[in-house]
Amino acid sequence: MTIGTASVGPSGAIVAQGDAPSGRRLDKVRFQWSTPLLLLPAAILIAGVFLYGVAYSIYLGFTNLSLLGPTAQDYQWTGMANIDRMLHDPVFYKSLWLTALFVGSGVVGGTFFGLAIAVLMRRTLMGLRFLAGGAAMIAFMLPPVTIAILWYAASVSGGTFAVLTGNSAAQPLFAAPLLFTSIANMWSLTGLTMLLFGAALRNIPADLDEAASLEGAGPARRFFSLTLPLLKPTIVTSALLLTILSLANFAIIWLMTQGGPQDATMILPVYSYQQGFGFNNLAYGALLGNVMILLSALLGFAIVRATVGRTRRKRKAIA
Amino acid sequence: MSTTILGEANARRLSGPQPPDPATKVSPKRISASLVSSNLVLAIIGVLFAIPLLWMVLASVDSNAKWYISWPHFTLANFGTSLQNGRGFSLGISVELAVIATLVATIAGTLAAYAFSRRHLPWKGPLLLMVLFLSGVPINIIIIPIYQIFSQFGWLTVAPTGVFLGVTALPFEIWIIKNFIDSVPGELEEAARIEGARTPMILWRLVLPLSAPGIGAAAIFGFINAWGAFLVPLVLISDSTHQPGSVQLYGFISAAAINYGDIAAFSVLYSLPVLALYLIMNRAFRGGFVLSGAIKG
Repeated sequence: MTIGTASVGPSGAIVAQGDAPSGRRLDKVRFQWSTPLLLLPAAILIAGVFLYGVAYSIYLGFTNLSLLGPTAQDYQWTGMANIDRMLHDPVFYKSLWLTALFVGSGVVGGTFFGLAIAVLMRRTLMGLRFLAGGAAMIAFMLPPVTIAILWYAASVSGGTFAVLTGNSAAQPLFAAPLLFTSIANMWSLTGLTMLLFGAALRNIPADLDEAASLEGAGPARRFFSLTLPLLKPTIVTSALLLTILSLANFAIIWLMTQGGPQDATMILPVYSYQQGFGFNNLAYGALLGNVMILLSALLGFAIVRATVGRTRRKRKAIA
Repeated sequence: MSTTILGEANARRLSGPQPPDPATKVSPKRISASLVSSNLVLAIIGVLFAIPLLWMVLASVDSNAKWYISWPHFTLANFGTSLQNGRGFSLGISVELAVIATLVATIAGTLAAYAFSRRHLPWKGPLLLMVLFLSGVPINIIIIPIYQIFSQFGWLTVAPTGVFLGVTALPFEIWIIKNFIDSVPGELEEAARIEGARTPMILWRLVLPLSAPGIGAAAIFGFINAWGAFLVPLVLISDSTHQPGSVQLYGFISAAAINYGDIAAFSVLYSLPVLALYLIMNRAFRGGFVLSGAIKG
């Protein structure tokens, strides 16, 4: 959660070598043999899962491995067959579009509600602040399965939203599956953006607002011409975080609708899972997962670039 | 705050009536249309956000619960019945998974974070960027190759799944702990070196206690990450009687006969540890940076 605010800097004091025989200079920076030993466990684990896992996944994407049947054991290299299949798969293109909608609505909705609550909290009654802030924080903290269950309960036939519309037999979830899964996703992310924007708003000096109001700017003008531009870096950070977290939230969709009805919520990670373990096409599922990893890797680069860029600017400003 | 009020009073004198400043406190005299609408909008958002939570709390103590929110016929029996049919045991599996994941990620993470923070290391910058990058990759998406590897080695049981969940949290844990160790003054360590302490001693007696809040926060992150995992244990644990609480909770809504009160009660029991840990983590971070007085100067 601190990905966005963390900074890559010179890592504190480098302590001189202690395991050296006495008489050597202690102030010289030197490579120590215990350093690789300290890094070894993490390196093995990360290499084993992330590097080997991704490499193996890329390899499997070019085979005809299946979960059951003869090709579960004797699978072969099939070259571009899976890629060819993917490029002619209408569900793949649909899932790309649905992924963009799901993630996009999570980013826009999460940013909007987080910012709205953070701004409104500055001028409203204590009890309301407690209600909205508390609900958003608990929603953010809940495990994904609980989030899915609660929104399933609220939007299924006989649930609170169906009863509120006056027809308790209605199926809001299956009438608008993407809408309700997206709302569940937004609901679970707003607490994070509320915290980010709350902290950013506190860092805006009050005299700026005061000066603007002395010049006769109304609250709307002050918000759009002053507060919002100052919040821009936070908005970028939170948008990148929300994108990554929405992609990771795909379990919510799988739990609420399994990608259905009629592929209406079949976002790419869910489609990958369904091809692999639902239709037994492990190889094709692996390829779809690879596309997903590639997309989130690009986003990861964006996050790193944003973080490094900000640190450099900060250093320049200090120097 | 007082200067703000003064400033606004001046502004009012200068340019006639003004909407109230957002930074001023609400008092009965200053109620305006804009304040009322702010309160109203926040109330609406708050209620909408609270509806799903309200159902969970009310239905869990309702002997006649439904999917919709209703005033409960109070009972505590749901909490007992929700743990029947092996679901109490599944929470034990959740604990096992989360503890293994936490231990793996926190031990490996602390050692690596210490090396990143204090040691001279070639390509340290790019390596750290890679750690940051990996912490943003939702690696659960490549569950298929992991399943294939685990099934080849016969690892489709609870312990290896816990290790895998630990690794998914590892890059972010390294990142948190490294930032925390950075804030511990290096002079303390130098003093210990001069007294003749070696690396294991320094790690155990100095780094560990001084960066305990950061390591604790990272450990809690690892625990919550593993506790909430759903698809990973579903795929990687082949024995259906050894599935964790998350999978059991899902089993409720796919069951033929749905007992709403039990679902809500089990949701509460399954979610409470996570909420409690977040509160602890919050306190740890607040009380974290008290080391500035440890060195003179």
